[in-house]
This record gives sequence, C-alpha cells and structure tokens, in this order.
Amino acid sequence: MKRLLPSLRAKKRYLAFELISEEPVSRSDLVREVMSSASSLLGDVTASECDIKVLGFEDRKGIIQCSHKKVKETRASLAALTRVNGRRATLYILGTSGTVKRATEKFIQNRTAFEPENKVKPGTSEECRQNKTQ
Amino acid sequence: MGKPKFYDFCVHAIPDGDNTVEQLAALARHFRYSGIALANHSDKLPQSRPLITSLEGFEIFRGIELVEENPSKLHGLIGKYRKSVDVLIVHGGSEAVNRAALENPRVDILNHPAFDKSSGLNQVLAKAAAENDVAIGLTLRPFLHSRGSRRIRLLSDLRANLDLARKYDVSLVLSSDAMSCFDLRSPMETLALAEVCGLEEDEALEAISTAPEKILSRNSPGPGYIREGVEVLEEGDYF
Repeated sequence: MKRLLPSLRAKKRYLAFELISEEPVSRSDLVREVMSSASSLLGDVTASECDIKVLGFEDRKGIIQCSHKKVKETRASLAALTRVNGRRATLYILGTSGTVKRATEKFIQNRTAFEPENKVKPGTSEECRQNKTQ
Repeated sequence: MGKPKFYDFCVHAIPDGDNTVEQLAALARHFRYSGIALANHSDKLPQSRPLITSLEGFEIFRGIELVEENPSKLHGLIGKYRKSVDVLIVHGGSEAVNRAALENPRVDILNHPAFDKSSGLNQVLAKAAAENDVAIGLTLRPFLHSRGSRRIRLLSDLRANLDLARKYDVSLVLSSDAMSCFDLRSPMETLALAEVCGLEEDEALEAISTAPEKILSRNSPGPGYIREGVEVLEEGDYF
C-alpha cells in the first residue's frame, strides 16, 4: 500500500518526558497509569481525542505521542499522574516537537541528567549508576 | 518582556513534608522555577533556618502557613510572624478563620478555604479579600491525590471561587502545596492543569508568576517606599 503524504497524515505532537520515581518502573506499568490518569481527569471521550500513546520509555526518559490539537489536555493528564505501580512518581515534560526525530535529538540526547544533589532519594542505586556512566 | 518567572509559594519541607529543603529546591530548579517559598505549617516548623537561601538563578523565600482555629489567636500569630517571613499563608477551613484571614491586610494568601458544603468564599468575603489584597491560593496536591467524587467536589469549589474572584477582582496564586518531591509539578504542567480545570490562559499565568511577584515586592519594599501607594521614585532638588 502506498504511504500517505505527510500533509495528509493526522498531525501529531511528540512530548519528550522524564519520569522521576521512587523506584524504576516498567513501560507497561507507565502506560497503564498514563491511560488511567487521562481517563480519570479528562473523561474517556476527551482522552480518546487526545490519542495518547507511549512510544518509547527507557532509562527514565521517553516519548509520548498525542494529537496536535490536544497538547494542553495531554500535558494536564500527564501532570495528574502521581503513582506508578503504587510507587510515587512525577512526570516532567522536557519539550514538545512535531517529529520523533527532533524530539529525541533536542530533548533526550545530550541532556544533562540529574546532578548528584538533585537526587530525590539519597543513595539510590539508579542515581549512582547514572553518575558513573556520565 | 522576557520569559515569565515562575514561583511555587507553598512547599513543605522536613519536618512537615518528606524531603529536605535542598532536595525540594534542586528539583524545583530542575523544573525551571525561579523560586519557591518554604511554607511549613506553623505547628511543624523546622528547628533551624535553611542554610541555602539562593542558588544560581533560584531563590528560596521564607514562608509560613498558619494553622489556627481561633481567629483572635490567628491575628496574634500573624503579628508574630509577619516581620520574619516573605510569604504569610493562612490555612483556612472554617467560616471564622477564612473571615479573619481575608479581613487582615497583613495576610498574603488564604489556602484551602473550603469546608463542609461551602466553597469557603462568598460575596462578602471576596469583597474583603479584594480590599485587603489577600490572594486565594489554588493548591495542586489535593487535585492530584484524589479521584472521582472527591476531585469533582474540589473542582466545583474551584469554579465557585473562580467566579467570585473574577467578579470582585481577587488575585489568585497557584501553588503545589507539595509534601514531597513527587508532589512538585513543573510550571508548564501546572499551567496546563489549571487551564483544563477552568482558568483562562492569562489568569493561570498571572497566578503562577505575576501574583507571587507582586506579593514579594509588597513585602520587601524598595528604598523609596514610604507607605502603600506612596513611593519616591526619583530624588532630586526641585527648588
């Protein structure tokens, strides 16, 4: 099948995000929480219009796709996320972009990670590992 | 006009909340806030003052959230703490306390005014708030941590207060009321959430940047300040 022209495809926005959580979380847990927080804040009808999808998530950073007309609603529903898998977490949106490539280049690669004093919980193994790899 | 500066005026550190001042400040700075005000409840004040008061491009203001049921004692506490803090918040929650706070021009913000079946404000109190320049605090934490009927209740209280605030021109202040790092939200997220909950874009922006700035400038008057409304802008020999 021939691919649709870019101008004919549904327009999207890609939100690069960072998840700050008590313990490392898996992608499937995050997806479940994002969806439930969106449907609880916006209702199922608006949440479906937002067309939220978690595209990739690893090393506490990832990309979420949403409709370009519903960025605000999506942001709000992501802000309403408080817990993932029973552990406290907060989702910080690093920036938005119109393409996955640009979102990754601009916000996810070469980003200075948390500095030691920015630790949420002192001495978590996650932080130490990250600092060593730097 | 450059980028707006964002402030979070109600953050609780140890022993009130879970995290230290340093951790909260570092995270808030990471979220690109320009400053936070440490506002522990008055019954859980820290033993000593925080060591750091400002990092590069980031300020930590002294604040307090007064918890007192008795209006006359509340006025006493306001007098006691007013001189030593930048931001004075009153934890509302009953008719008498709300009234006492809104009728006292030395109070900056009234948080959590809602009680029983009322949103906490009415026409009389909103008018008093506007006259005395007391802002109404909109706090994020209760919204984030409740769902279903409780959140619906909170939102309808917010709408009622918003209508009154618009009618009587009462200023609003958005804050996180964070008890731990995980309750902090970045300014953009807070704005999006506020807009989804019924605030207009400019109202939300004012509530997170201009209104806090106004409170700060009121509480740390410049050198030419004489009294409210009277200020020497330029000294010169006019004769």
